[in-house]
Amino acid sequence: MEKAKINAGQLFVLIFLFEMGSALLLSLGIEAKQDAWMAVMAGMFGSLLLFWMYYRLYLFYPDMLPTSYMQDIIGPFLGKIAAYLYILVFMYNAARVLRDFGEMLVIFAYNETPLFIINALLLLLVVYITHKGIEVIARTGEILFVVLYVLAVTGSILILVSGLINLDHLKPVLEGGIGRILKTAGTETLYVPFGEAVVFFMILPYVNRPDKIKPAALSALVLSGINLSITMAVNVAVLGVDLTERSQFPLLNTIQAIQVAEFLERLDVFFMIALIVGGFIKISIYFYAAVIGASDLFRVKEISRLVFPLGLVVLFLSMVIASGYAEHIREGLHFVPLYIHLPFHVILPALLLTGAALKKRHSVNKRN
Amino acid sequence: MKIKLYCLTSALVGIILLSGCWSNQELPDLALVSAIGIDLEKDGRYTFTVQVINPGNVAGEGMQGTGGSESPPVSTYTESGWNLTEINRKLSKKVSRHIYFAHTNLVVISEKLAQEEGIMPVLDVLERDHEFRSSAQIVISHQSDAEDIMKTLSSIDKVPANKIINTMKSTEKVWGEHVSVSVRELIAKLVSPGEAPVVTTFHTIENQGETLQSIQRTNPDGRLEAAGLAIFKKGKMVDMTTGEISKGIVWLLNKVKNTAVSVQWEGEKHAAVFDLIRQQTKVSADVEKGGTVRMKVNVAAEGNVSEVQHPINLASPQALNKMEQRVEETIKQSIMHAVDKAQELETDILGFGEAVHREDPEKWKKWEDEWEESYFPEVQVDVSADVFIRRTGLRDEPFHRYLTK
Repeated sequence: MEKAKINAGQLFVLIFLFEMGSALLLSLGIEAKQDAWMAVMAGMFGSLLLFWMYYRLYLFYPDMLPTSYMQDIIGPFLGKIAAYLYILVFMYNAARVLRDFGEMLVIFAYNETPLFIINALLLLLVVYITHKGIEVIARTGEILFVVLYVLAVTGSILILVSGLINLDHLKPVLEGGIGRILKTAGTETLYVPFGEAVVFFMILPYVNRPDKIKPAALSALVLSGINLSITMAVNVAVLGVDLTERSQFPLLNTIQAIQVAEFLERLDVFFMIALIVGGFIKISIYFYAAVIGASDLFRVKEISRLVFPLGLVVLFLSMVIASGYAEHIREGLHFVPLYIHLPFHVILPALLLTGAALKKRHSVNKRN
Repeated sequence: MKIKLYCLTSALVGIILLSGCWSNQELPDLALVSAIGIDLEKDGRYTFTVQVINPGNVAGEGMQGTGGSESPPVSTYTESGWNLTEINRKLSKKVSRHIYFAHTNLVVISEKLAQEEGIMPVLDVLERDHEFRSSAQIVISHQSDAEDIMKTLSSIDKVPANKIINTMKSTEKVWGEHVSVSVRELIAKLVSPGEAPVVTTFHTIENQGETLQSIQRTNPDGRLEAAGLAIFKKGKMVDMTTGEISKGIVWLLNKVKNTAVSVQWEGEKHAAVFDLIRQQTKVSADVEKGGTVRMKVNVAAEGNVSEVQHPINLASPQALNKMEQRVEETIKQSIMHAVDKAQELETDILGFGEAVHREDPEKWKKWEDEWEESYFPEVQVDVSADVFIRRTGLRDEPFHRYLTK
């Protein structure tokens, strides 16, 4: 474990930016059609439960990284395998977000630039900041949080002022019934983006005031849920369900639709900055979790010795996980939630928590 | 030694990272396209015309004494082929710079293409391309090719594309027979089963407005003017409306901002004029148990009397009340004309289907597929209007109240 401390405010900012990350830019929960915003909210509420699970796990072992306490709960052999798998998952997720980010830039701005160059440039930065440690990531997050919020507020005002919002697009409310919303939430929004907060159980031991973790983390989840929900509602209200569904990046289309007073238009750069801020923090956190996990599992004292090789792995992984954008997105929608999110975000933590609780009770009984 | 190494590395990194973007495009290498026009040829090929701005000649705008530059503010280039991407690449044979679409504000599609093939095939590329903005306006050329519209010069706005857009927007605002539609809105209406689009048509006279001489006259030969509203059904243009019916459509779409309505008085058809200041049209659907659909249209309008040709005592509230009723009648009539037209053509340009969808999603699911053919023509429409005449200008009674007696 790195000798570093972050405060609860920084944890809040990191969770918030992490959740907004790439989720802000995709059409989240659009399978619930015009009720997508409700599906996002439903997913967020579900994720509070998930996070409570990760938090309880942390309470059992407040000074240890999950990669260590897994070995304590389910024995050194199985624990090591589980920890190793988690490191792989974090690296895979980092690579996925990196690929998302690169693909978006190539599609929307740099048509002729090779994906590799874009990914490499971003990863260089991620490697650098991870090398500097969690404290630096947290402080960067604080600055970027302000940037993102200024953008969000300005963007919302401009969308309101240019009269683009047509609330009729959001009607009829609950057309597919509660069932469709819950189904979308259960199969999609619960895992992406909210369930991804599982990575924060690697970060929680660094928080200096354990009593403040719960309010900070839960309010960050709620706030990001509300923000994402509003974003989806605005996207649908501006573009309509059909266009939101077909858009690779609905927020980009919404922002492009802004026309205020004949001169405030084509604000694509808003989208660009939001994209880079979100993507950067999300990749950094995943990557940091993978690095710190590996250093803990393999007992490498200096994390800087792991940063570069693992960075290279993530970079090449981001290039080879899919041959094209359509494949990448389809994997993300159909394969990843079932085989990665469900076991590693829900089932394994639940098993670990049960194990930890049983073990604790056992040791209490023994003492008596 | 270490410092030197740091300096060297940062300098090298700087050289690599700060030297510029990968796919950079410098302004002098770009041909800024202000408008594009798409025509259909006899053999089914498309003809694609781009209107490229000549920067030097537009920049002179506003400077005194430089009027009448020697070459026109825009040039057009035309090429034909089977798809727009290919044509765009082929155009490079004629244009010396990279053809750049990020500033394209206007898309003109010829009537022939809209009627025969439908507009859907050509719209995909406009939506998909990352350079092109889907907030660009779209118009249909009426009784002329899109190419002719591209070529016609205009006198006040130097760039003809701007002239068309500004004309369309201003006439939508002050007269209300036309609507401005962006590519994005058009596509949204095309895909919605409970809505069909209307698009403004523009007209010019062939081969008349291409030279600078043509706009040096006070009454230019080739004039770009808004003609009517093209009505679409399943992506194809089926009819064009003008006058009263167009206005009814625009009322129903709640897009009227200002307009003038003639008031009939004591047998005289155009005795006074009601000048609309603001209005709000609400359309709601009422699905009865038997399955009949009743649309309720309510217009709330507010305005002034701006002109009186007949001696009417405008100081009397009773007279104004009566006048309000007359205006209500006229508005209702024009809305009913529009409804009749749409039902006759079996195309839901009025968005009634969407209103039903919002009102009764379950019934809508059953009706969705054959809404326009089977259900839409049978829809009953109740129109009600509330008109308020607030003021009568600087005078109450007209000066000719005693003279004409």
